Amino acid sequence: MSIRPLLRFWLFAVAVLSVAFFGSTAVQAAPMPKEIRIGTLYADSGPFAVSSQSQLQGLEFWVDHVNREGGVYVKAYGRKLPVKLIAYNDRSSTTTAATLYNQLITQDHVNILAADFGSVLTSVAVPIAQEHKMLLFDQTGTGANFFTNDNPYIVLTSLPTSGIWPYALADFLKTQKQIKRAALLYATNDFTGSQAQTLRRRLQGSHVKLVFDHGVATSTSSYALLLHNVQAARPDAVIEFGFPNNDIAFLHDLQASGMKFNMVFTIFPGQLFALMEKSVGDQTLAYTYTYPTPPLLVYNKVNYGMGLNDFQQEFRQANGKDPNFLNIAGFNTGLVIQKTLQTAARLDQLALRRSIVAFSGRLHTLNGTFKIDHITGAQIGENLPVGQFIPGKHALTVRMLYPPDLATGKPVYPAP
Amino acid sequence: MIAYTLLAGLLFGLYFSLVAVGLNLVFGVMRLINLAHGDFLMLGAFLAYGLYTAAGVNPVYAIPAEIVAFVLAGIALYYAVVPRLLSSRDPEMLSFILLFGLSQIIEALAVIAFGNDQRAIPATVFGARPVTVFGQTFPAAWVVSGVVSAAAILAVYLYLYRSRLGYATRAVMASRDEAASTGINVHRVSAIALGVGLALAAVAGAFSPFMLGSIEPDMGIRITTVSFAVIVIGSLGNPLGTVLGGLVYGLGLMLMETYFPSWADMLPYVLLILILLIRPSGLLGQRVRLA
Amino acid sequence: MDYWAKGCGLPRGGWYSVGVVALFIVLPFVYGNHDLLFNMMMYLALAQGINVLFGFTGYLPFGYVGFFGSGAYGASLAVLLLHLPPVLALLVGAVIAVLLALLLAPLLRLSGAYFAIASLAASEVVYYIVSNPHLESLTQGPYGISLARAYDADASYAAMVVVLALAFGVVVYLRNSHLGLALQAIREEPVSAEFAGVNVVRERTCAWLLSAALAGLAGGTYAWHVSVFYPKSVFDLNISVFAIVFTLFGGVATLLGPIVGTLLLYGLYNWIGISQPEYFQLVFGIVIVMLVLFLPNGLASLLRRVNVHVP
Repeated sequence: MSIRPLLRFWLFAVAVLSVAFFGSTAVQAAPMPKEIRIGTLYADSGPFAVSSQSQLQGLEFWVDHVNREGGVYVKAYGRKLPVKLIAYNDRSSTTTAATLYNQLITQDHVNILAADFGSVLTSVAVPIAQEHKMLLFDQTGTGANFFTNDNPYIVLTSLPTSGIWPYALADFLKTQKQIKRAALLYATNDFTGSQAQTLRRRLQGSHVKLVFDHGVATSTSSYALLLHNVQAARPDAVIEFGFPNNDIAFLHDLQASGMKFNMVFTIFPGQLFALMEKSVGDQTLAYTYTYPTPPLLVYNKVNYGMGLNDFQQEFRQANGKDPNFLNIAGFNTGLVIQKTLQTAARLDQLALRRSIVAFSGRLHTLNGTFKIDHITGAQIGENLPVGQFIPGKHALTVRMLYPPDLATGKPVYPAP
Repeated sequence: MIAYTLLAGLLFGLYFSLVAVGLNLVFGVMRLINLAHGDFLMLGAFLAYGLYTAAGVNPVYAIPAEIVAFVLAGIALYYAVVPRLLSSRDPEMLSFILLFGLSQIIEALAVIAFGNDQRAIPATVFGARPVTVFGQTFPAAWVVSGVVSAAAILAVYLYLYRSRLGYATRAVMASRDEAASTGINVHRVSAIALGVGLALAAVAGAFSPFMLGSIEPDMGIRITTVSFAVIVIGSLGNPLGTVLGGLVYGLGLMLMETYFPSWADMLPYVLLILILLIRPSGLLGQRVRLA
Repeated sequence: MDYWAKGCGLPRGGWYSVGVVALFIVLPFVYGNHDLLFNMMMYLALAQGINVLFGFTGYLPFGYVGFFGSGAYGASLAVLLLHLPPVLALLVGAVIAVLLALLLAPLLRLSGAYFAIASLAASEVVYYIVSNPHLESLTQGPYGISLARAYDADASYAAMVVVLALAFGVVVYLRNSHLGLALQAIREEPVSAEFAGVNVVRERTCAWLLSAALAGLAGGTYAWHVSVFYPKSVFDLNISVFAIVFTLFGGVATLLGPIVGTLLLYGLYNWIGISQPEYFQLVFGIVIVMLVLFLPNGLASLLRRVNVHVP
């Protein structure tokens, strides 16, 4: 055996290594106040692609918007700086996402770190951000276990933590004297599992009895038999908590089965109206209940950034389509970042967090009132109301039902 | 309740027979496991979806288009790779890996072409009213899918047992070499069988939005495994045995969904392992050694 | 035959392993994205695990990720329920994976594609059990694991270096031992190997358990390193697929094949993933098809064709 071919092979392996590691990453200089670098991830494929891309689009819209105005004012430097967004694609994989969050922090030295959509892709960022002492702008990752007393490096910007979502729904049910029996059907994941838990707890001791309470896998795509079981329990109201694919399948199968319930509640028609309308049709959505979010829900008390109308108009111009809720969620993250940079005396991450705590509760955007729990960073403003889809002449409209200060009418109960 | 479950199981059983029968036909003729089977089903689903959204074509009328497109695709695929594979050192394993690669390619192309949105065809395409069968009410789409599946299985029977091509196909299934020595054009027969196998998957795909939930590019591998479970339960290499496998699976699934819903997803995998270990020849068929 | 190369303190291939392991000890000091390095090591170890089984026995374990996932859960639950220190918990993870492999050992009666699909089904069964909401009190069901308290990026990185060294060690040993020779004999000619006095069942099972133990260790270490994960992410079929393709690409039954395969393809994956994200799965599929049609024994066979020995 000659040694030279072996040597060559070894050199080859080293060369491969070097290409794999160094070829891909340019060495970045230490942060200079020439621009503000914001790093985030998105997924162009996999289960979170649709939502994630919408959210990124919203954040990009904000970046273009501030850059047209000469950048974002950074108090730490006393002047405006342009914003540069670095966004990598994690293809909905947590393993890839972990690598890329790391890349953003250690190689790109971003000033601001924003998470991808949803709890699953945010989950891996939480320990990484804490390890590197970076404040994580968690946009829509509402998993309850991210927010702990000993981690100051996270703040939830655009949705309330999932455990408090059904507050208004539970209160609404309690005010409806005709609803005595309710069925609860939910997908078993952090997001909807915690909502089911809250609803269950909040209905305890009230006149509303849960006559059916069942969790299904998040991958469930056929509800026909489950609906049969639900019907056997003779509920007045059917509450289904799921991800968009669950809600679509549920509404789909409900329509195909020909069953009628007096009240049907699902989550996502209120957030992704266009998608749901396209998938299940107006007829199916008519008279169902949901949590309406902007743009279905209009907050009039905006004191920071564009109001909903201006936003819709500009967004349509820029992207050629109407914004959905996740576009607004991404844009709202931009607004929170903007406010943070405007008020933080220094750019160090804990200073950022302190300035967020300082304006928490006093920032009213098109997404509602931004308010965090001062210790854990969880979002507790931006409450989700209850609304009902009412068929109009040409399209469905949303009638707000609860809480009373947002209400625009009475429910149509039982659904015709 | 039990009557409803059993009838639903019957409808789903027929449908799962259709889902799996193409895989079994291909296995019977070529002794290779088409790991891309589920991906062809997915393509069939997207074709039906495309026809529906573009021109409002009812999935039932999409069937001829599915058959033509996929028979041709199957014949092309056969001549592109199979003869080369069959002459290699370890055809079974190599074809398995190759078809796995093909499955990855199809999935990737589907993502690039269709994106990741989940698609559905509204169930109202078969009329908004549910259908009553033996006093039980089912979505119309289930009944239509069941009927189409039964018709397709019947067509497979006629093809295999009542046509000259079918006679030749069964001869190839029995022994490739002997069939060749009696003057049968083995390649032509096998290519058509692969085409028919893919077309059956595609037809099943046209009804998958109603029976399996929404369509998405990465549904393939799951369906391949379920199909494999169904044909193993019936009998490997015996296309009509698939019907038994489908019915056992469909009834089992519906019973699980009704009484132990959170464990229902496990069913095909558990059945697959048990049958492979305990009775590898399936419920029908003689004992054969797989090892 | 002298299994230990003459005049050299290490068996054949040993120096390469030492070199690669040393590289992963040094690299963190000059390169900041430790997660990338960590994942690279993880796939190197998993590819060698696949190599132990597929390369030396011909069994293709599609469900290899089942061992990875059970290792991840075994280790995590040892931390959460038994309050073991992470390093001990990793061993628990490996033991769980080995126990699972013992339970599944009858699958080895199946051959070729049947084994591949049955092992895939087995990993799905384990996934559905672990993620079942009824077992929430034990496994947290579908809600995922959080090991925030035990999180230690540096220690878990070091642990993966050790796992990688072990994986290399196993393959170097197989390349140079009776067991490895016996296994390859079984792979080529099972019947005559049996006549020649090789205990086919025992040797095969041995490789199966070794391979499962490596995946279990890698899974446990991965769980420790990410510290927050969901059942879906540790039972992700793509983990099996990656490891299998890396191994096939480099060339099975060699030490260097899987190493080169992983470094090249996973490097490519991250390179494309970081700059131009689309089309990776497509490239992957095409690589597989091309391999089968033109290079069924991987890159290593190219070198063998020009008479270079590949350790």
